Amino acid sequence: MANKGWNEFEIGAMLRTFDGKIDDIAGTRQEDRAYSENSSFVASVADWRIEKPIFSKDFCIDCQFCWIYCPDMSIIARDKKMIGVDMDHCKGCGICVEVCPTNPKSLLMFPEQADEETELAQWPAKDEEKK
Amino acid sequence: MAFDKMELRDIEVWDGNFAAAQALRQCQIDVVAAYPITPSTPIVEGYAKFLADGYIEGEFVMVESEHAAMSGCIGAAAAGGRVATATSSQGFALMVETLYQASGMRLPIVLNVVNRALAAPLNVNGDHSDMYLGRDSGWIQFDAYCPQNAYDLNFIAFKVSEDHDVRLPAMVHQDGFMTSHTAQGVNTLTDDEAYGFVGDFKPMNDMLDFEHPVTHGVQTEEDWHFEHKARQHNDLMTKVMPKIQAAFDDFEKLSGRKYNIVESYDMADADVAVICMGTSVETAREVATEMRAKGIKAGVVGLRVIRPFPFFQIAEALKGVKAIATLDRSSPNGAPGMLFNEIAGALYNTGDRALLSGYVYGLGGRDLTKAHLVSLYNELQANVDAGKVTTPLQQFIGVRGPKLSFL
Amino acid sequence: MSEMKKIKNLKEFSTSADRFEGANLLCPGCAHSIIVREVLNATNDDLVLSASTGCLEVCTAVYPYTSWDASWIHIGFENGSTAVAGAEAMYNALRNKGRLKQPDRNPKFISFAGDGASYDIGFQWISGCMERGHNMMHVVLDNEVYANTGGQRSSSTPIGSSSTTAPAGRVSYGEKKNKKDMVSIMASHGIPYSAQVAPNKWKDMVKKIQHGFSVDGPVFINAVSPCTTEWKFDPKDTMMLSDLSTDSLVFPLYEIIDGHELNITYRPKNVVPVEEYLAAQGRFKHLFKDQYKYLIKEWQERVDAKWAYLNRREEARV
Repeated sequence: MANKGWNEFEIGAMLRTFDGKIDDIAGTRQEDRAYSENSSFVASVADWRIEKPIFSKDFCIDCQFCWIYCPDMSIIARDKKMIGVDMDHCKGCGICVEVCPTNPKSLLMFPEQADEETELAQWPAKDEEKK
Repeated sequence: MAFDKMELRDIEVWDGNFAAAQALRQCQIDVVAAYPITPSTPIVEGYAKFLADGYIEGEFVMVESEHAAMSGCIGAAAAGGRVATATSSQGFALMVETLYQASGMRLPIVLNVVNRALAAPLNVNGDHSDMYLGRDSGWIQFDAYCPQNAYDLNFIAFKVSEDHDVRLPAMVHQDGFMTSHTAQGVNTLTDDEAYGFVGDFKPMNDMLDFEHPVTHGVQTEEDWHFEHKARQHNDLMTKVMPKIQAAFDDFEKLSGRKYNIVESYDMADADVAVICMGTSVETAREVATEMRAKGIKAGVVGLRVIRPFPFFQIAEALKGVKAIATLDRSSPNGAPGMLFNEIAGALYNTGDRALLSGYVYGLGGRDLTKAHLVSLYNELQANVDAGKVTTPLQQFIGVRGPKLSFL
Repeated sequence: MSEMKKIKNLKEFSTSADRFEGANLLCPGCAHSIIVREVLNATNDDLVLSASTGCLEVCTAVYPYTSWDASWIHIGFENGSTAVAGAEAMYNALRNKGRLKQPDRNPKFISFAGDGASYDIGFQWISGCMERGHNMMHVVLDNEVYANTGGQRSSSTPIGSSSTTAPAGRVSYGEKKNKKDMVSIMASHGIPYSAQVAPNKWKDMVKKIQHGFSVDGPVFINAVSPCTTEWKFDPKDTMMLSDLSTDSLVFPLYEIIDGHELNITYRPKNVVPVEEYLAAQGRFKHLFKDQYKYLIKEWQERVDAKWAYLNRREEARV
């Protein structure tokens, strides 16, 4: 939001999350919500990241550990399937990689500048020594 | 409605506390969160009894401290309904943190402050230390001089505070014991008249509107804080006084009782004037009349609205006066006194260069007697005659020991 | 009474639409956010929320942004619980007076606060809320330190931890006092439900939160919140620390119903030595010096004793 003058905002420093009326928030997915300019959903913390997670769906079992333990609501799960990472809100903590149970992992951390297609092409193979 | 109306006589004999409790009943408060403290306790006790007797429908939350009382009021007000409480002195001091939060969040809460001294040393009697403590908190402050005022000003406080152009909390002050525990005749409104004057509560930015979720109580740092504080000050300075005046006008039409932002008594041709608050205004008026019989053109100015400070109305009321005494009922603790400073500020740029002197009186419930005021008026007249202030600028009235004066 | 949200397994849980948003300012790897999500996603009902001053509050409502998709209020450090209690009182008043805008809803009233805001400065306010019987839930995000202000000790800080106001040094091993038992203290108010939870045990968490929503009256929840910044571990290890905290029994998971009936809700198959829990955190690093190793032994004895006590309480059914 632009830096407004003292006479240009709501009194009491009150913020509204949504533009207009929203009937059933818990029943409305993020893409269907009319977030206002004041919801942090419209902001990004992508520049916090030093490393980023890359998701390889080949080995994913949709266990949703990454979804439940993501501190930044950045694992996008739809219809019980893991479909990707919200790179505007991911801070690069790496928890999703740690909790991923597949072999090889379906999420791995890479330097922020890494190229996704390159990394996916050279994804590690199954570690046979690991159960 | 699931509560009964109460039949009141046209004139009831009430003390200030009960008058305030009756006003709260008639305003049909949705939530009262309160904690007892002398001398304001009977207000919330009265309210609790009305609830127990079925004359109110609402929630009465008896919390564990005054800080929690105002915290609960803030939560309730943000949720979206009519909210009130009462306190005094140490309880008010404990509330101070939350007072700023209530006003900063622009929540209309009415707080009855039964004025009492601040410890140490501990004292339960009336002075204005707590009122002064709250004067920078961003609240509207009304001052009652008697139980009738305490009753009437509650209605006015709700009407102004809840106005969507205002949305600022309001205090109704009355003097501990002298007003709060002294029964006088109080002209009443019927329940319907009273509620009709205040009107239904109109929610704004209410947390319980689940279709429009709100975030209250955000953090603002150096990039936003100043703008929000400036906005609040602007609204206090520009929006509140016209609403108060309109409420006073409406109230006069309803009740026949006229209130003014600054209450002038015999000021039209006054040479000397006392400016004060609370019960002292009534004492000073009586003495001023007596002084006039002695040939001294005495008048009295009482503040009805303390915040926002009636800067221009004060200057207008004191126009042409030759000598003025400000009566501060709170220890200035190293300064000339709030009224002295603020009156000086209001007059400094006017053409009038009245002789201004300050008096500190009545701390901890010490009586201000008519004799004190007689000698005070005589001192003012002596100043007029001498063409200068003949006394120190700050004098203590009614304190034992050697004469105490400064400046 | 609204229907309880059905959450059989994690896949089903993952269909929840979060009401807490990213691009908040919490540290990468912060457990607060994980706990908040698990609590909020336990219901589809409307929410009235508060946060007391602390990491969660200062990181989620910095003007001009809010990370909350439900009505939320912050007043001060000590009084978030009472803010929600006030809102709950207003809800009751308006419901009884027929003035609710959406009378068919069943809002849940939840206050979040850190251990500083709950164990210390907000203790009295929470006690008042619990005693008065408000229909509300107070959730402590217990990271055992004033993390928001840079790591000062609170009355939740455990023995031997190094904090900025009880630092380990040449002649000190840091914190000298053991943490306060808030779950028991709050249960002693006779409230219908008091429990300890951990974000790694999400199912236990959801079950307890839902139980909390189902009872009539105040609910107290103490959630262990491993703090990457002040416990001094790598952000990626937050869940490992959470696992260590529950599996070492340093944070045993249990509940107390109606102030007396205690149930242990998680029994680790393989109990991890406390030493492993301590070794994973920088705040306990100094305990591994020879002169302080006795403290690790004492730690283990304390944890064992508490576990034995909880088991006796559970068996006694009193």
